[in-house]
Amino acid sequence: MGNLELIVEKHSERIHHGIEVLPSLRHGLPEGLGNKRWTAELILATYEMALTGDLPKNGLEYRTGNSGGGFDVLGWKNNGFARIDQESVDLSIPLNKREDGKKITIPLPIYGGGMSFGSISLNFMLARARAAKRLDTFMSTGEGGYPDEIVPYRDHVITQVATGMFGVREETIQYAPIVEFKYAQGAKPGLGGHLLADKVTSEVAKMRESSMFTSLYSPFPFHSVYSVEDHKKHVDWIKTVNPRALVSVKVSTPTDVDMVAIGSYYAGANIIHIDGGYGGTGAAPEIAKKNIAMPIEYAIPKVHDYLVSEGVRDDVVLIASGGIRTADDIAKAIALGADGCVVATAEAVAVGCTHCGNCERGRGCQVGITTTDPELSRFIDPEWGETRIVNLFTAWSKRLRSILAGFGLESVRDLRGRRDLLVRYK
Amino acid sequence: MVLDPETVKPSKYERFRIETKPTPHVYQIPNKFDVSARKVRLAAMLVREAFQFKLNKEVVLSRPCIYGVFGGRFGGFKPLKHKCVGCMRCVQEYPHIMTVKHSDSYKRLGDSFWTPEAVFTIWNEASTGKIPVKGMGYKGAFGGEGFDGIWTDMSEIVRPTRDGVYGREYISTSVDVGRKPTSVDFSKIDRSSPTITIPVPIIFDKLPAGSGDVRAAVGIAAEKLGTFYVSRQRTPFDFGPASLIPVGDEESIQELVERPSAIVEYDAEKSDLFEKLAGALPSSIVIARVPLREDAGMVACKLTRQGVHGLHLYGDYHGQDYSKEPKHISASLKEVHQQLVKEGLRDQVTIIASGGITLAEHVPKAIICGADLVGIDTTILVALQSEFRGETRDRANCQMKPRKIDPEWGAQRLVNLFGVWHDQLIEILSAMGMRDVRRLRGDIGRSMMDAELREQSFKGIAWAT
Repeated sequence: MGNLELIVEKHSERIHHGIEVLPSLRHGLPEGLGNKRWTAELILATYEMALTGDLPKNGLEYRTGNSGGGFDVLGWKNNGFARIDQESVDLSIPLNKREDGKKITIPLPIYGGGMSFGSISLNFMLARARAAKRLDTFMSTGEGGYPDEIVPYRDHVITQVATGMFGVREETIQYAPIVEFKYAQGAKPGLGGHLLADKVTSEVAKMRESSMFTSLYSPFPFHSVYSVEDHKKHVDWIKTVNPRALVSVKVSTPTDVDMVAIGSYYAGANIIHIDGGYGGTGAAPEIAKKNIAMPIEYAIPKVHDYLVSEGVRDDVVLIASGGIRTADDIAKAIALGADGCVVATAEAVAVGCTHCGNCERGRGCQVGITTTDPELSRFIDPEWGETRIVNLFTAWSKRLRSILAGFGLESVRDLRGRRDLLVRYK
Repeated sequence: MVLDPETVKPSKYERFRIETKPTPHVYQIPNKFDVSARKVRLAAMLVREAFQFKLNKEVVLSRPCIYGVFGGRFGGFKPLKHKCVGCMRCVQEYPHIMTVKHSDSYKRLGDSFWTPEAVFTIWNEASTGKIPVKGMGYKGAFGGEGFDGIWTDMSEIVRPTRDGVYGREYISTSVDVGRKPTSVDFSKIDRSSPTITIPVPIIFDKLPAGSGDVRAAVGIAAEKLGTFYVSRQRTPFDFGPASLIPVGDEESIQELVERPSAIVEYDAEKSDLFEKLAGALPSSIVIARVPLREDAGMVACKLTRQGVHGLHLYGDYHGQDYSKEPKHISASLKEVHQQLVKEGLRDQVTIIASGGITLAEHVPKAIICGADLVGIDTTILVALQSEFRGETRDRANCQMKPRKIDPEWGAQRLVNLFGVWHDQLIEILSAMGMRDVRRLRGDIGRSMMDAELREQSFKGIAWAT
């Protein structure tokens, strides 16, 4: 074994061991870890769930962060409900409620969000795809193309078509059970994707048909879409190339997000995916993340209520993302009106992300998640990553079942829009 | 028609851009993170790894940091703390040895208003001239008070958007300063008050504290940027005299007449000088400085009817107004703007807002609340690496101490700051699909308020008991 292999093996083992040991708090709560949204406890709790597949038993806070608003000031009513056996609770949700088209149901109300090849390593992408297959759910390619290595998992991979059209080819649309149009993303609404030069290696450039080590900024918006009618043409285009595919429309959360949602529905979308401002994994201007478009907690009720008032709520699936960190966030999002959620950051935390935000610079992520560096990428073994993600979602499923059983609800679908089960904290 | 190349004049059009360039800190800044190792455990670990990897030096000494924190001669025994970005990999790999925390000197930065994060942001913007970009989503508090409780709108499908950021489509950040007549009066056409267009909706307000070097840096920067700076100094500076906005009073009128400025301000609270200044300085734009408080709307309407060309509405350095029960300037600004709109006066005057404008995002948000442009104050001193020595809420009790600087260095830092804020303003405008910052003024409909959204979206959710 050469030195490089030895070095990779050494650090890989140390990192994996470290993220197993840290949640025990044997060495205390690391002071520099975390922030208001992803607190140190929440990060360690996620490590623990990814290790054990169960909820933390040492008192680590695994339900909320400390942001002082949104999901973090919502809780659950805790009296007057007849508890049922949590094993009997059904967490599955359908992803197509229209009469036509393929019926797809996922066994838990979660699938993986778009993180592109280039923004994340191929190994992490593979870990996500493998986990999606094992959980019988989905993960999205993001807008960086469709590496050949994930083709074996194509029944569980959503092809994203975004404004840069990076790597969008006829066959990648034909592979997909679901095609996702990304009109906008919550972390940089109205600005298009960023992949900074350092991460555009030869492989990434080849996949995106661009030049190496040149920053890639996706245009915004789709320059072929300036109306709902134009959007309908896009949907028709996908349906022509792949008539079996469901269509998801990912949008951000502007003031008129309810109008955008209804427009997407009438253009033929099966899934309306709203992405709030506080999430995101890729590089984004700090000013955009904090200040543009509303948080998902406020957008969900707005869209849900509007779809109800228009009489189409039961014909379309509403998926929420952008700052969904925990099983409790998912349940709260559903109680606010979503059918299910998309998560991405939590998957990264499951394999060692510290939410430090240095992903965009130089070699990228220090533990091999959001990097294209060939050495760092090897820290994530796809099989190890798959197990961690599956474990995390297994633990989350237990928490979701516990919440639902506590309210006497037999299905997660019965939780949708049940704001009466939530309470607010000051 | 065939054009004769000899007679075709080249276009004089130049797209506005701000020339930023790296201008490193001259005074050492605190390390954000404090990295330390338990030295005995570190030594023991090295011995253990030496055995494990059979004295293979390259493997044993390969360090758990990609930023070079342990790249010094003594490795983990003397970490290069300034290189730490808080990625925590060393703690993940060696939790029993390594500790990383925010340093005490970092945590002490600023005052109750200026957070350490905000100080670092301004330092980085002033030194690099680049927009702060990071990965992995937002990390701060949810919404909040004042400007933090406002989100700007975005548009899914309209132009110009991203294209504006890279200059393929032009987004104007120019604003006009001066009185705008509501109709043309041919009898006064030679005596109409002037207006001046400035390329960014930001000026330098009066310095909270200053030295000759700092004032010179501000003057040079204002001139380079095509903007203005407000100063009580009666003698124009040697640098950027054409960009000076003097603050006039009874005693200084003659001096102002001898050395006229394009814009002049006066303190409306202390004296009713408008008629005198406008009479003595017919080619100057006369702006009344008005403190934001309960009666600011009424005062603004009265002054506008009197004919002032502009209003400079200000709060304290922490962004609070001077009401008996102080509120954030975003709220007071909205009230004044809306009162002027209601009275049919708003379009006649320019409103400059200042006090607590400390981050790039505050510029569009103040404009949404009704300002035409903003003034910055303590931010100037932060960009120039002044020292915080306590709370700085107003000019009389300024606890920020300017350091000795090279004016050219300082000017470039301020140019960088404006460049970065300009680019971030373009980001906000482009996301909204707006071509012109003037369209943003008072457009509350293109913003979202935390308090309102919370009540709408969480309506019917009971309070926890």
